[in-house]
Amino acid sequence: MENGTISYTQLLREDLGIFRVTPDDKVPDFKAGQFLTLGLPLDSKIVNRAYSITSSPQNKSFFEFVIRWVRRPLPGRLTSLLFNAKEGDKISWAKPAGNLTINDTLPNGEKDNRRIVCIGGGTGLAPFVSFAQHLHDTNDKREIVVLHGASYVDELSYKDLLTGLENESIDRGKDKWNFTYRAAISRPDEWTNRSWIGHKGRIEQFLRPTDSGKSALEELVGEKITKENTIFYVCGWQGTIDGVMDYLTNKNFVTEKNKREDGSFEVKFESYG
Amino acid sequence: MGMVEEVTLKPNYEKLCSKILNSDEHIRFTGFVNDKSKILHSKQKDNLDPLLSDHEIAMSIHYTLERWRKAQNFTFRLGKERLTFTEYDHVTLVTIPFKGTLLLVSTEPRINYDPIVEKINSILTDWEKI
Repeated sequence: MENGTISYTQLLREDLGIFRVTPDDKVPDFKAGQFLTLGLPLDSKIVNRAYSITSSPQNKSFFEFVIRWVRRPLPGRLTSLLFNAKEGDKISWAKPAGNLTINDTLPNGEKDNRRIVCIGGGTGLAPFVSFAQHLHDTNDKREIVVLHGASYVDELSYKDLLTGLENESIDRGKDKWNFTYRAAISRPDEWTNRSWIGHKGRIEQFLRPTDSGKSALEELVGEKITKENTIFYVCGWQGTIDGVMDYLTNKNFVTEKNKREDGSFEVKFESYG
Repeated sequence: MGMVEEVTLKPNYEKLCSKILNSDEHIRFTGFVNDKSKILHSKQKDNLDPLLSDHEIAMSIHYTLERWRKAQNFTFRLGKERLTFTEYDHVTLVTIPFKGTLLLVSTEPRINYDPIVEKINSILTDWEKI
């Protein structure tokens, strides 16, 4: 394990926070969408847990994470330590790993220019914040759509950053930076969400065909979604993955884990529950 | 052999509210709310001046549910929450978790609450008979 410092903490809610870890040495090369294993001492042992990195690989100053403090049925040990930690506390970390990374080439060796649709449930947004910043920083011309599902409006971490990236897309033109961000709130009737006017329901409902025959996603991008023009990346609870696959399986999309004999696939996913 | 039909009984919240409201003269209001802030049923005494506006009632339910959700974070140490009291100058709020919902009761303040809680618990225990 390497050593670092918790250099920034920001609580968005009592149980949701943004954390930065600054390595003692330097931020190593990694791929957008990968996770980092963090470690803190507890009872003279080191407790480890992996968290998806939200910062861009181009950011060589620190790693950033958005972390939910789940406490039922039992509070997570490392996450509890993190939520009690202070800026300046030492922390250990292991090298980045994980396969939920951006696909850049097709099986035939050509560049993968398909539209990128990222669907994140809760803190499952994390890898796609890294995707978005990386694709922006590397001047990627592909169309990117980030869809974030949450129960409450105050769980829409990175709304400001992602809205800014969409505004930049509008200002500069989609031929230069093509980025769209939408969120869905699954409990629109609750008091906390009283001012929400965006999409209501579960995030995977963006894929559900409406009365017009098109899905909300197809309305958004202005064309039919096919396995030739779009690749999906999904991260969240297993229920979110299953919900997305219910729609995509009907369109003959296949996952990377079940890719065709020729190596082709249209969905990459990672579940955390 | 005949078909076996599985019947899952659900509480009749309307009847429960009436029974709880009528069980003690000091009770002003009773209602059941689920964990998504939806009021399943509620009933209040006639001819009472409401203390809160509709908007404030929604806010109050939100605060109550937030407190309930956070209290459950200690279940693994302290066991399940059974009852809470909040006594204001003008009203007392009682909450009792019941089958995944939260029973909200408001009473007159500064009274002897034990008999009221006993009556409510008795009604909730026998909910299948209502």
